[in-house]
Amino acid sequence: MWGLLGFVHSRGVFNCILLQNLFDYVEELALVTYVVSDLSFVSSRIFTLHLFRTAFYKCNPNHSDNDLSDYLTISPESMNTSSTQYVTTRTMGMYEPIHHIGMWGENFKTNGCLTTSPSTILEDDTKLDNQSEDTSHGTPESKPVDKIQRRLVQNREAARKSRLRKKAYIQQLETSRLKLIQIESELERARQQGVYVGGGLDGSSLGFPGAVNSGIATFEMEYGHWVDEQNRQVCELRTALHAHITDVDLRILVDNGMTHYFDLFRMKASAAKADVFYLMSGMWRTSAERFFLWIGGFRPSELLKVLVTQLDPLTDQQLLDVCNLKQSCQQAEDALSQGMDRLQQILTETIAGGQLGEGSYISQMSNAIEKLDALVSFVNQADHLRQETLQQMSRILTIRQAARGLLALGEYFQRLRALSSLWATRPCKPA
Amino acid sequence: MQEAMPHRTFFPATVGGRRLSSIGREAETAEEVVRGGDGGSVRSMVSENAVIVFGKRGCCMCHVVKRLLLGLGVNPAVFEINDEDEAEVIAELFAIVGGGDDGGLQLPAVFVGGKLFGGLDRVMSTHITGELVPILKQAGALWL
Repeated sequence: MWGLLGFVHSRGVFNCILLQNLFDYVEELALVTYVVSDLSFVSSRIFTLHLFRTAFYKCNPNHSDNDLSDYLTISPESMNTSSTQYVTTRTMGMYEPIHHIGMWGENFKTNGCLTTSPSTILEDDTKLDNQSEDTSHGTPESKPVDKIQRRLVQNREAARKSRLRKKAYIQQLETSRLKLIQIESELERARQQGVYVGGGLDGSSLGFPGAVNSGIATFEMEYGHWVDEQNRQVCELRTALHAHITDVDLRILVDNGMTHYFDLFRMKASAAKADVFYLMSGMWRTSAERFFLWIGGFRPSELLKVLVTQLDPLTDQQLLDVCNLKQSCQQAEDALSQGMDRLQQILTETIAGGQLGEGSYISQMSNAIEKLDALVSFVNQADHLRQETLQQMSRILTIRQAARGLLALGEYFQRLRALSSLWATRPCKPA
Repeated sequence: MQEAMPHRTFFPATVGGRRLSSIGREAETAEEVVRGGDGGSVRSMVSENAVIVFGKRGCCMCHVVKRLLLGLGVNPAVFEINDEDEAEVIAELFAIVGGGDDGGLQLPAVFVGGKLFGGLDRVMSTHITGELVPILKQAGALWL
């Protein structure tokens, strides 16, 4: 409403004193009219708040400003209608220059104030007269002076109240602005840490990205650190291998590398307890990595295929061992995949249990929730497989080969991540 | 030494050999699923079968173990435990194991050669390290 008032002010069409004069000519006037000074506004939204206010107080001298704000709710529809509604008053005839445009709205009609009988209005009018500074009533000579005095007082009072309300509104705007800035910075921070806010749309059943799962938020942050540390270790391995350091020192690096991966599996285990669907979705990884996702992570057999070519020369025994490892890995993966298919089947049967279409499915939901625990086991088993595979590889390979293997693995993931960022920043072809 | 058994469904030919039948009967299905919560038969089944997997009915991890073993050419007996019999069967198994062990028999549980082998974790690790197949062979679950 203040925006509108400001608008009115800025258009220069509102003149307190002028309207007060007009108002004085219509003493029993108890309606709000829309005064159009700028006729270029056919569907005018200009109204005289002040006018209405004084009218309001004439009718309801005991009402507070709160009631006033009730009356002042504006709906766009009401503002656009061109029908005119007003309470008749016997002095309307005097009122030629005033055009009635627009309707004040449903509130207006239903409020008792403006449909009161002229008698009530008259009553209030005299009451107001009594409240004025000039106490002399009735004498024709003092009447103009009365009026002027009263007008000045009312004007002053109105202006003061208006200033107070403007101040309150601006205060409200300021706090909202601060709040908005705060929220925006939080969002920015969350985005940098890995976009769970965006991916968490299904986290809240109410449809808005509600409270971020703290377990997942922690995981995202830790994973960010994990990737940084991984990159650092890859660099370290690279320089170490070029520098031909001793096997003892290399072993330390290899052990660090292995432990780093095991840390990731540990992190994933707790994240799985927090939100297994999130982990399975791979939202915590980059897009290219997600393409290769298998039960919440990399597929061990694929990795072995990548590594074997990088690790030449291998002894015959080593080749045999790696071959066997590849086969075992493949078999284990197949078993797990088949287990996942079975879980999907069971889940489908559970969710679709009973009659679909009845509209009530609480029992199916509670059954399904129980079944979802199995997903956590699958993620854990898959990570366990990854860990065992890495460990077995480190047993088969020499230290130097293991270091080369870790380096190759690290850079392989780096390349996947680089591919993802390239993809994300690719120029969009025009349609 | 592949026997032609037309009424059986296919087995992956990773390791050739005869399929072990359980409880002395030729099974018509590829898997031999034993149902029931009869306590007395638990012990007998553990001792009679080279490989037996105990799991809850509808458990997907049990399915994984089964699939893995089948992929190796083993035909494990599977004991599906009903919910109501679970405590009873676990108690039985505990007794077989020798009690007071870890304090918590995890299902699915795999018994090889009459002894408790472990859960899915152990099966996976031994499989990756290559230890599983020799153990199975030793127990007579796999024939070369």
